Amino acid sequence: MAEKHKAAPMVDEISDFEVLEIAVRELAIEKGLFTAEDHQQWSEYMETVGPLPAARLVAKAWLDPEYKKLAVTDGVKASLEVGIDWINDMPSHFGTPSDYCNLRVLEDTPTLKHVVVCTLCSCYPRPILGQSPEWYRTPNYRRRIVRWPRQVLSEFGLQLPENVQVRVEDSNQKSRFIVLPVRPEGTDGWSEDQLAEIVTRDCLIGVAVPKPGKTVNDKRPIHPAINPVDH
Amino acid sequence: MSKPHYDREHHVKKATGVGDPQCFKGEAGKARFKVGDRVRVKDLPSLFYSRTMVYTRGAECTIAELVYESPPPEDEAWDNCENPEWFYSVIFRQKDLWPEYPDAYSSDTLETELSERWLELV
Repeated sequence: MAEKHKAAPMVDEISDFEVLEIAVRELAIEKGLFTAEDHQQWSEYMETVGPLPAARLVAKAWLDPEYKKLAVTDGVKASLEVGIDWINDMPSHFGTPSDYCNLRVLEDTPTLKHVVVCTLCSCYPRPILGQSPEWYRTPNYRRRIVRWPRQVLSEFGLQLPENVQVRVEDSNQKSRFIVLPVRPEGTDGWSEDQLAEIVTRDCLIGVAVPKPGKTVNDKRPIHPAINPVDH
Repeated sequence: MSKPHYDREHHVKKATGVGDPQCFKGEAGKARFKVGDRVRVKDLPSLFYSRTMVYTRGAECTIAELVYESPPPEDEAWDNCENPEWFYSVIFRQKDLWPEYPDAYSSDTLETELSERWLELV
């Protein structure tokens, strides 16, 4: 028994792709294409990019019909007003972190609901949404949402009636997509800040719809233990 | 023997400050299809690289929008930017992709982008 007992590994196994990334990165540093400090700065910068500009874009579009028209016809131009320059900004800057700069804003209506996926790998509008959530990149989500969209959406807690058309957007070429959801009831007279708060990342991918009171900073539910430990 | 010269920067030079696919604007010539056309996705062989999903092959769809011009991924994967094509946003009925898709949701659709070479008029 004793010899069979192995200590848990100190680090998780790393994938071939991670090994490849490290190899290419180290070669690039050796060749002088960038320095290790550059790389660290970039990685840390990328971690700070999040979905707030896209939430702001949606809130502005809800309040201003002219801006909504612009967002739907020219997402790249509309992004400028929320501080994201897809063409010249550091985050996109044509090469990084999104190689392609064609943002399309998909407008939901009361009878049309968009949901975005990339069945190819993980295309995602990173300059305006930040890094994609882990589930978005999984083969499970990617292969099932195109085939069984309603079932997958209901796993996210979104059940849509029959009269709503579900439109899956398979984003596998050079466009990147965000969803412009329908403005929910109960938000009359709200300010842009208030509206932007309820447009969560999941609403922008299309697997959720905004609800008054449901914000990114919601308190997580805490349930008491069924069999609490008595100390 | 002299060292071969590979131009690895032509794309970055072209796209910086302009954007990709914006940098290929005006290079594809006249578009063969227009919004509203009914088209079928050709079942071409995929040699080495393609972004045309197998589930779309042979299915009929409608052109929703002419989105941009760009070399198709089959060329671009090999750094060949010489023949840009029009890209179309196309909409499929889910029923046309998956015959067993429930009738109750027959209005459900799927949208994706495809380059001109993959499409033919129905």
